[in-house]
Amino acid sequence: MRRWLSLTLLAAILTTASVGIAAESPVLAVTLDNGLRVLLLEDHRSPIVSLQLWYRVGSRNEARGATGIAHFLEHLMFRGTPTNGPGAYARIVERNGGQDNAFTSQDVTSYYVDIAADRLDLVLALEADRMHNLTLDPKIVDAEREVVTEERRTRTEDDPGGALGEEVSALAFRAHPYGQPIIGWAVDLKRITRDEIQAFYKTYYAPNNAVLLVAGDFKTAGVLAKVKEVFGPIPRGPQPPKVLAIEPDQNGERRLQVQRPAELPIVYLGYPVPNHQSPDAAALDVLSVVLSGGRASRLYRHLVYERQLALEAGGDYSYFSFDPNLFWFYATPLPGQTPETLEKELLSEMEQLQKVPVGDDELKRAKNQIEAGFVFQDDSVHRRAALLARFELIGGYALKDQYLDKIRAVTPADLQRVAARYFTPDKKNVGILLPKS
Amino acid sequence: MRIAVRPLALLLLALLVIPLAPAPGVAAPIAHREVLPNGIVLLVAERPGVPIVAVRVSMRAGAAFEPATRAGLANLTGALLTRGTAKRTGPQIDEAIEFVGGSLEAGAGRDSLTASLSVLKRDLMLGMDLLTDVILAPAFPEEELKRKVAQIQAGIKRSDEDPNTVAGRALARLVYPNHPYGKPVEGTIESVGKLTRDDVVGFYRGHARPDSTVIAVVGDITVDEARREMLKRFGGWARPNAPVPTVPASAPGGAPKRETITKELTQATLMLGRQAVRQVDPDYFPLVVASYVLGGGSASRLYERVRDEGGLAYSVYSYVSPARYGASFAVAAQTRTAEVPKVDDMLKEELARMTREPVKDDELKLAKDYLIGSFPLRLDTSAKVADFIIAIEEQGLGLDYADRYKAGVARVTAGDVQRVAGKFFRPESFSRVVVGATK
Repeated sequence: MRRWLSLTLLAAILTTASVGIAAESPVLAVTLDNGLRVLLLEDHRSPIVSLQLWYRVGSRNEARGATGIAHFLEHLMFRGTPTNGPGAYARIVERNGGQDNAFTSQDVTSYYVDIAADRLDLVLALEADRMHNLTLDPKIVDAEREVVTEERRTRTEDDPGGALGEEVSALAFRAHPYGQPIIGWAVDLKRITRDEIQAFYKTYYAPNNAVLLVAGDFKTAGVLAKVKEVFGPIPRGPQPPKVLAIEPDQNGERRLQVQRPAELPIVYLGYPVPNHQSPDAAALDVLSVVLSGGRASRLYRHLVYERQLALEAGGDYSYFSFDPNLFWFYATPLPGQTPETLEKELLSEMEQLQKVPVGDDELKRAKNQIEAGFVFQDDSVHRRAALLARFELIGGYALKDQYLDKIRAVTPADLQRVAARYFTPDKKNVGILLPKS
Repeated sequence: MRIAVRPLALLLLALLVIPLAPAPGVAAPIAHREVLPNGIVLLVAERPGVPIVAVRVSMRAGAAFEPATRAGLANLTGALLTRGTAKRTGPQIDEAIEFVGGSLEAGAGRDSLTASLSVLKRDLMLGMDLLTDVILAPAFPEEELKRKVAQIQAGIKRSDEDPNTVAGRALARLVYPNHPYGKPVEGTIESVGKLTRDDVVGFYRGHARPDSTVIAVVGDITVDEARREMLKRFGGWARPNAPVPTVPASAPGGAPKRETITKELTQATLMLGRQAVRQVDPDYFPLVVASYVLGGGSASRLYERVRDEGGLAYSVYSYVSPARYGASFAVAAQTRTAEVPKVDDMLKEELARMTREPVKDDELKLAKDYLIGSFPLRLDTSAKVADFIIAIEEQGLGLDYADRYKAGVARVTAGDVQRVAGKFFRPESFSRVVVGATK
């Protein structure tokens, strides 16, 4: 728990996201008087529920000098309120057979509990309590600061891929906070004060800045009444400040090289691309699957399998990103191969996409993978709920039903067009990790 | 799970230690089980609602069965299963399954070699054609073997970057000094480099056989449909005369050992481990409860003391890891280099305290309630159900194991926990591995 997900990981989860059987299970969506958005989805296949509370706050909302504060606060959300003291949250959830966790991304902070359906009221009350009554004891804040710093060591300091990703993001974004690491710079983690965390909490943890999703084995009417009872009394907060930063156009290649202990080099390429709001988004999403959706995908087939240049290679796009983000390419050269070779090969794959239309079968395969991924996702109540939340957060859960239509409409010419438009030399951000011997 | 960073062992553990929630009154069996005429055990769990089917074919051909001089053979064999058959090349298999958005994967673990199919119901026949082909007619092309060997070697090389993997491998070697479980499933760069196509063909021929194969079918399919398909496809698979190969159970690990592996890292990874007992041992349930109290969740002693109060670690936990021919118990933490002695002391103190004093009533109750109450969450997808029923069959635990697990956990007393801690938690009985910078 109290973990964060990298942009890349999140994108990977969402690329296989889904719409499947939604039509058979209507969602009840209401907005409470205090602004809390509530989505309820009955699903009676297993005697469980998934409760998810998504706050519209992530590293995107952080100021320079206070990076990592959203994720730090996520950790502290488990450390007690006057009603449920330190450790109580974990004890109550575990005693009732529940599993909980949370993650912070660039855009959101999400908390969930999956639990036996008859325990739902209990966890609704816990979530409502910590939305409004967090204690933030200074001693606990300082202990948790060390925990978060340990997490940073695991994920960034001691992980070559994590370390390189952080550098390339910082290279690509000069004005927009997407250039700041979700976990935060180590110096900021050391500096951030308890009062700043308190202020951040008061600003962003309010019913009008959150989406509550409950899916599973319950009757909608009863749960809605309970939600109103426990969340209703929490007052609406002031409207949180908008993120105003807009990343200016990139004018020329940017490049960096990192040397650190590692066994194999890594190559990352990042190109600025639009998000779901753009008519190009569906094509970019399909493109990421053409490039790296399985062993038949282009980058695996060409670079890993046929040419035997890479241990792994892929491409990644974040459809759900709140603001325009990066399309990532990555490759890990096999021993004996250089990062320069892999960078060149990745560029030549892009060039192919620009010059030659993707074949009908190849396009169909990518679309089928996305569609089937939606159905597989429906097998899990938790994942169904999370996907609805994702669409809700970018403009409304009903967008989920339009998404597949947009995917189906993508043509080979669309893929060619977006590849030509966005993967250009002057928009390239390159990061190379070289093992230090 | 409560700790974001968890070793693979824990995922396996999750499959093995989870109790089945009893239905009120008569417990419904978790799956239909029958033995086909050639000895295949067929398990079917009908799960209508989402139009998908998950199939697992598990053979007793894991790394424990490979000769000591051929480390990595089972892993390589598993990885090559989908890389070509008499009728199809590897890329043709990839394209066929991915065109319908499904997946077909194969690989080996310590005990088993498993092929896993996931498809939409409407593509089940295609998926079954491919699955049958890779199980019954793998070609193991020489060229594919060369490719795969290079990939596996590069993967092993890169895994040296990951302190958890490095520590886990070293700990297995110390805990199982004279048993195949002490070797890494993937082998070493050197051992994999020496494997030949003859090795692979011979290993598969010797170990892939219907009378040690378990097939689980879960999802939008009936028992009758599943039986018909499996009989049609695997019914002609002949049972060989030779006896089914077996592996001796692990012998006690001998004197505990210590190992330090120096790496230029900011954190040290600390792992303590020793052999323990499998699910069939009367001490198993008390051991699982004891491990949960010690380091099983966010309310555990280690989590509260090392992480919440001490701010010394992001990741700290303990777990029991049972397998078919042995079991281990481990405690692990990652902390900044300077704090290794302090965290090492805490782990040992908390282990010793479990042996010295009985656990408190509320700790005991929490552990038992969690272990029993969280069960439905572990069976909420077709893939999870398939993995679970395969595991209980492979471990020889019986389809009623879930009920027995629940009853077994419910019976554990504070006295049982202390007694079992006395047997398995004495700090001096643990081997220890540290991976990190030397100060």
